[in-house]
Amino acid sequence: MSMRLGPRVGEVIDRDEPLSFTWNGRTYPGYAGDTIASALAACGVRVFSRSFKYHRPRGLLTASHLDPGCMVQVDDEPNVRGAHRRVRPGMDVRSQDTWPTLSFDVKAANELARRMLPAGFYYKTFMSPGWLWPAYERVLERFAHGGVVGPGKVSALDGNERYDKRHAHPDVLVAGGGPAGMAAAVTAARSGCSVMLVEEELELGGHLRWGDDVDLTALSELRGRVAATPGIEVLTDAVVLGRYDGNEISVLQRGLPHVAERLVKARARTLVAAPGLIERPYVFAGNDVPGVMLSTAVRRLVNLHAVKPGDRAVVLTANADGDATALDLERAGVEVTRVDARRGGDVTRALGRGRVRAVELGDGRRVECDLLVTATGWTSAVSLLTMAGDQPRYDDTAARFRPDASRLPSDVMATGGVVGDGSCAQLVAHGEATGREAARRSAQSSVTASAAPPPLPVEPHPALFRGRTHGMVDFSEDVSSKDLFTAVEEGFRCPELAKRYTTATMGPAQGKLESVNVVAIIAEATGAAIAETGTTTWRPPYAPVSLGALAGRLREPTRLSPLASWHHSHGAAPLVAGAWIRPDHYGDPVAEAASVRDGVGIIDVTPIGKIDLRGPDVSRLLNLVYVNKWSKLEVGRVRYGVMCGEDGVVIDDGVTGRLAEDRYLMSTTSSGAVTVWEWLESWLQTERPQWRVHATPVTTSYASINVAGPRSRDLLARVVDDVDVAPEAFPYMHVRTGRLAGVPGCVVWRIGFTGELSFELHVPAGYGLHVWERLLEAGRDLGVRPFGVEAQRILRLEKGHLIVGQDTDATTKAYGAALDGLVKLDKDDFVGRPELSWGGQPGDGQRLVGLRMSPDSLVPAEGSQLLDHRGLICGRVTSSRLSPALGRAVCLAQVEAALAEPGRQVTVRLVDGGTARAAVTEQLAQVDPEGVRLRA
Amino acid sequence: MILLPCPWCGPRDADEFGYAGEIRPRPDPSTTTPAEWRGYLYLRRNTAGWTRERWFHRMGCRRYLVLERDTTNNDVRPSTDASSGSGS
Amino acid sequence: MPETTPVIHGPVAPAPPVGVLAGWAVSRRRSGAALTLSDHSLLAKAAVKAPWQGALADVLAVPFAGTLRRTAASTELLLTQPGPGEWLVLAPPGEQTALVTWLERCAADVDELVSVLDVTHGLCLVRLTGAAAPDLLAKECALDLSERRCPDRTALRTAVSRVAADIIRDDRDGNRSYLLACERSSGQYLFDSLLDAGAEYGVEVTGFEPPGVTEQTARAD
Repeated sequence: MSMRLGPRVGEVIDRDEPLSFTWNGRTYPGYAGDTIASALAACGVRVFSRSFKYHRPRGLLTASHLDPGCMVQVDDEPNVRGAHRRVRPGMDVRSQDTWPTLSFDVKAANELARRMLPAGFYYKTFMSPGWLWPAYERVLERFAHGGVVGPGKVSALDGNERYDKRHAHPDVLVAGGGPAGMAAAVTAARSGCSVMLVEEELELGGHLRWGDDVDLTALSELRGRVAATPGIEVLTDAVVLGRYDGNEISVLQRGLPHVAERLVKARARTLVAAPGLIERPYVFAGNDVPGVMLSTAVRRLVNLHAVKPGDRAVVLTANADGDATALDLERAGVEVTRVDARRGGDVTRALGRGRVRAVELGDGRRVECDLLVTATGWTSAVSLLTMAGDQPRYDDTAARFRPDASRLPSDVMATGGVVGDGSCAQLVAHGEATGREAARRSAQSSVTASAAPPPLPVEPHPALFRGRTHGMVDFSEDVSSKDLFTAVEEGFRCPELAKRYTTATMGPAQGKLESVNVVAIIAEATGAAIAETGTTTWRPPYAPVSLGALAGRLREPTRLSPLASWHHSHGAAPLVAGAWIRPDHYGDPVAEAASVRDGVGIIDVTPIGKIDLRGPDVSRLLNLVYVNKWSKLEVGRVRYGVMCGEDGVVIDDGVTGRLAEDRYLMSTTSSGAVTVWEWLESWLQTERPQWRVHATPVTTSYASINVAGPRSRDLLARVVDDVDVAPEAFPYMHVRTGRLAGVPGCVVWRIGFTGELSFELHVPAGYGLHVWERLLEAGRDLGVRPFGVEAQRILRLEKGHLIVGQDTDATTKAYGAALDGLVKLDKDDFVGRPELSWGGQPGDGQRLVGLRMSPDSLVPAEGSQLLDHRGLICGRVTSSRLSPALGRAVCLAQVEAALAEPGRQVTVRLVDGGTARAAVTEQLAQVDPEGVRLRA
Repeated sequence: MILLPCPWCGPRDADEFGYAGEIRPRPDPSTTTPAEWRGYLYLRRNTAGWTRERWFHRMGCRRYLVLERDTTNNDVRPSTDASSGSGS
Repeated sequence: MPETTPVIHGPVAPAPPVGVLAGWAVSRRRSGAALTLSDHSLLAKAAVKAPWQGALADVLAVPFAGTLRRTAASTELLLTQPGPGEWLVLAPPGEQTALVTWLERCAADVDELVSVLDVTHGLCLVRLTGAAAPDLLAKECALDLSERRCPDRTALRTAVSRVAADIIRDDRDGNRSYLLACERSSGQYLFDSLLDAGAEYGVEVTGFEPPGVTEQTARAD
């Protein structure tokens, strides 16, 4: 049955562009410009969904983005607001959460059990016994509302579509594109401001769009002014989600090409909130039966979409908009019975189930009809203002809460219907004055004197919330006025508590339609005044937002060495180490480790932190931040150093070399590269600003390659141009600079993390690949092979070299890391000295030791607990590997200091629940403890 | 996100900065007592109201800054560079 | 051992076809798109630190947060001061020795602590050109890059795609253009992020074309 009307002056449908789509599998016609709901309503569809708890049939209530009754599934997208989304050709639209069909829904049986689903149902029912929770969960899932993400259909997003984010910096952001908002935007822009005008609906205009000829003339004039004014960015189908500190306004924008949804993070100098008014439903028995609609819903359907919402209507009106609705209906050929609430008229009950059949009036009359329209009052859309600190006050005259402008910060203003009533001209004038003042506050206008907009009039309105019967209050959550009375009886007398107890205002509409009714009914139930009952709190987001929009594009910085492409093309298993992607191994870490012990291997150690230090006071800085002594480091030497925090806890280690009289190169751990540099800067900038030192991070200026193994000198000799690598010319713990493989500006230091003779080459990064390939080529006959991080971990563990952060933790002081020999308390001052000189003596806390397992090939998992002879936890394994060189497990462990003596036995608790014995070793180093190999 | 006023770069999103804590004087390490030192290490005033804090503008000028902030509402006053003597 | 001249690899994998320019592997791709992204990492780059408003600052004569073109060491330079007392100076490809030598000579003339570092290999430098460049950057950067806040010849440091980067507004022939510099290892990530964000505006990769940062033609290979 077609309910489509003939052409209307303000209609937004394009009759030249018919289309078809499917609803629950059946094909329906529509026009371009129709919403899903208007196209279906034009075909006589009245039921769009089933309600949340009782699965009652639901039709259109507001016919807008707020409509709680027509959330639908569109293709693979759930929870689409059907009265807002425009219908597209071929769209597959389905009702949500109904089974087996929308018209025959089994769960409607819940309705019969209504007395068993009282207020606080969840809290009362699914409480105990706790072990039944998994079963409860399955029950609750079946009750849950909502569609399905991607139910087997190909995604509606095309290849370019993404969730997206962008930043914006408008001088003035106007939230709401009704007459006042448009006027404010135009005036602010004409004053020289950049303006962002945000409108939640699909086009600008607010209530003017469904108004009379005068309204439509004003609308077209205002839209023309917006379009003709440079400096206004108009965002339609975009909703302001929240206002945050620093006037950061988050806006969710939809309907863009190539973008599914875009979150705009706007930093506005001034926010002008022009959200207008929301029409409030009336509470009475049967107020959720399909065919009971708000007056604005009717005017949208009739005037925007040319849809006749019924044939016989009862209009309960308390205001001019209700009167206008009755006229609109009559002009559309609907038979209308007016019930004037201003003269005591009332509706007590809507009869019918799938659709309204009749209405019972307050005077006892019963009127047959298929449409009941209510125009009983307005709610100010104050949520954005309350996020800025406003506390709305109840206005008895207007029968609604109104914002208290005096509580707003200077960078937030309000205009339009949210402020007061008035003719279109009055709203526009208020908007203009607000726009002018917003421009002044944004400091972009030549007008300097503050000019607060004149107040808008407030028209008297009858206070209509609940009639003489109980009805639905929260249509999203199926909470009735009776539930609220019950909640109050049970002691939940404050709206904040009653809300949580009943879940009223907690559904998708988030209180926009129902919160004032909730407050009024609680006031009625408690006998208090509305003003003293107060409201619930508005928090962002104002409208439901998809997680995709909040996430936006994934931006996770990734760092790559200049050798990354080589590693990738040579089968390296990637290891994510912080932001770095490193080669864990090239297939066989054990063989890689063996080649270093027996011959020579090369490893990419580019992530090692490198800091260029210059200036006359560098040695003072080194003496301050390292626990050991640095004043006598000669040019050409490198030294190992350990840094502690002010609490004596080890924070980093590494070697620093002196390249010239006042030029040093410091190395740090890979993970500590950034924090160590910031640490140095904090001392130089705050406690020692008089020191003349420049510290510059140069980690990625160099590709760093460690050449390790007994044949490393032979290999290096083949690629150096002007560095003498002979043992006597280049001893252990020395540094040289020069040219390698034709590359100038290289730094080479002779150190040995792996425990083998080794050289660390720092090569200008762009030449890294060249030098790496030259090393492999030049060392082919030496059996050189690349090794990865895993082989390096094996090698260093065999040698007993600790890794800060793995073998130490946030409580490990220098002594606990077995670094006693390094700490020089006879230095005047160094970071950590006070703590290390008092509390951190050997004997306190835990201590780093080597462990020998029994059986000795057993490799306990890292993190395995250690138990003492009483079975109490006395430490943990910090590192463990099977040593290829020794053919047994090598472990480092933190153990209570009293047990940290060679030969002491502990029990290791294994992951599988078993235990093993272990003995503390003589030294940390298990391979070459004398250090002969690295000094070769 | 709150904006912090950097004396060099102007107002910037707080996530460009690292928070280095409320400013407290460092006792002379050569004469300090364990009680005084541990107070310095671990005790914070945690004021509800105006505090003096150190922030590091990691993504900008890379300077340590002294910032006064009201912890009850995130109001901030113009900041200074930590090395300009107002640091401790 | 005799060495052939090694090829220098920048932080961004060059889009094919690949050629060599001033020793660097570069993309020979040429795009006529309205919005282009180009790897400029082969430019000679030096980082300078000196006291704020000290003697060297007078010599370099570029304001804080600004840029300056000047000819020195017989080459044209782009000087920027994106941090207080921190300069980034750019020169044509292959000119890093001349650049560093000139800066060190400037440093020798002043009585204050100056450090001059050749960061040619240590930084990734890309150029984003086109009217939509600020729209693209608005997705990756929280800062207001409008004409009013970030006019031509502005240099500042902020987070771009969550990486610390210098943004240098350096318009070309009246076209909006930005140089972005970040530490080298994040360069490929930054480049990819910008391409991803710019797909909506039809951004295309174009190879480095002399003149890169200056008006002088770079030495061809």
